[in-house]
Amino acid sequence: MSEPALELARDVELLRRIAGGDRAAFSDFYDQYSGLLFSIAVKVLNDAKEAEDVLQEVFMQIWNKADAYNPLLGKPVSWAVTLTRNKAIDRIRSHQRRSKLLEQATLEAAAPPDDSLSANEKLHGKENAERIRSAVADLPAEQRRAIELAFFNGLTQDEIATKLQQPLGTIKARIRRGMLKLRERLEGFL
Amino acid sequence: MIDERMEEQAALYVLGALTPEETGAFESALGRDVELQQFVTALRSSRDALAGSLPALAPPPALKQKILDQIAAQARPTPAPASLAAGSVRWFNWLPWALAACLAGLCAISVFEQKNLRQTIGEQAQQLIDLNQLANGLRNQAQNLQTAVATLRETNRLANLRIAMLNSMLADSPKAVAVSLWDDQQQRGVFLVQNLKPLAADRDYQLWVMDPKYPSPVSAGVFQVDAQGNVRLQFKADKPIDTANKFAVTEEPKGGLPTPTLKNLVLLGG
Repeated sequence: MSEPALELARDVELLRRIAGGDRAAFSDFYDQYSGLLFSIAVKVLNDAKEAEDVLQEVFMQIWNKADAYNPLLGKPVSWAVTLTRNKAIDRIRSHQRRSKLLEQATLEAAAPPDDSLSANEKLHGKENAERIRSAVADLPAEQRRAIELAFFNGLTQDEIATKLQQPLGTIKARIRRGMLKLRERLEGFL
Repeated sequence: MIDERMEEQAALYVLGALTPEETGAFESALGRDVELQQFVTALRSSRDALAGSLPALAPPPALKQKILDQIAAQARPTPAPASLAAGSVRWFNWLPWALAACLAGLCAISVFEQKNLRQTIGEQAQQLIDLNQLANGLRNQAQNLQTAVATLRETNRLANLRIAMLNSMLADSPKAVAVSLWDDQQQRGVFLVQNLKPLAADRDYQLWVMDPKYPSPVSAGVFQVDAQGNVRLQFKADKPIDTANKFAVTEEPKGGLPTPTLKNLVLLGG
C-alpha cells in the first residue's frame, strides 16, 4: 500500500487494536516498520546488537503505551521513528561522553555513500522510494549534513555549529531551508 | 502565519535538536496553534522519508519472537477503577474514629485497674497516632491513584477516535479518497485527502460532519487541495459533536455555505 490516506487509516487502526491488547495487530505493525526502525537505530548507534536492544525497547513501549499516541500530532510511524531515535541517542549518551558522539560523527562523515536498497522501498514502493531518494539527493550537502548531525548523531545546534565551524545562525538557517526543501519536494505524497 | 523563527524552531524540534527548555516552550506554542501542528506533522513526514532513505536493514528474525514472548509473559497494566480509590478513602476516613471509640471504651474499665489502664491507654494512644499516620498515607495513595486514573483516561485518546474512510461520489474522479480521524473528546480531527481535482479560485471544498442530534450536517470548514489533489488539515466542527456518524465533502462557493449543496456531493463515508 502506498496511498498516504490509506496508510494513515491502517496504522491508526493498528495502534488502536494494539492499545486493546491485539497481538496480531502488533505483529503487523512490527512487520511493517521494524526494518525502518532498525535501520535508524543502527545508523545512530553504529552497533547492530545495541540496535536490537533499542528496537526491543521501542516495540515494548509501543505495546504498553499505544494509547498515548496522539493522531492529531502526526502519523503513527512518525511517533515510532521519534521513539527509536530518542532511545538510541539516550543509549549513546548513557554510555559515552559527548566527545565520543562528535568523534563518531566525524568517522561517519568520512564513510562512502551507500547505494544499497533503502527502507523506503518496502514502505513506499520502488517508484516512490526513487522520488524520495531524488529529493534527499538534491539537498545541498551542507544542509543535509546539518540535518543528519542533528537527527542521527544527536548533536545540539551549538555542537553542530562548533563542529562545522559555522555561526549558529547559519546552522539554524541550513536546517530550516533543508527541511522546507524536503517538505516541498515530498508534499502531498507522504 | 508561521514566521521564519518559528519554522526554524519547528525544524530543530522534529530533529530533536532543541534544548529541553526550548522543547518545552515550543510544545507549549504547538499545543495552541493548529497551523503549527500541521507544519510539524509535514516536517516529521519529511524527516521520516530522510530516515527511510538509509540502507534497508532487517532485524534478526528471532527478535520478533523474543518481543512477542516478552509481551506474553507480561501482564498488561490495567487502570484501577476509580471507585476502588474512592472506597479506600471512605474506609480510612472512619478508621481513626473507630479506634477512638475503642479507646473511649477502655476508659470505662474498672478504676481498680487504673494503673494497667493508664498503660493500656498510653499504648492505644500511640497506636492511634500510628494508625492516623497510616490512614493519611493511604489517603494520599488513594488520591494519587485517582490522579493516575484521570491521567490514563486523558491519555487514552485512541479510545475516543473515530476513523472514517470517504469515497468518491464523482464519476470523473473515481480515485479520490479521504480519511477522517475524529477525536470525540478533543472535538477536533485530522482530514487527509488524495486525488481530488483542484478547484477554480472562486470555489471551495467544504467538509461536513453528520451527527444524528442535528437535522442537517454540521460544517467543519472549507479547504483547497494542492496541484496533485492532496491536502492534510486539522478541523473543528461549527457545533459540538456527540456522534460523528458520517463525513462528507461538497463543492461550494468560496467560503462555504451554512448547509451543504447535495447535488455537489464529492466525498462521502463513515
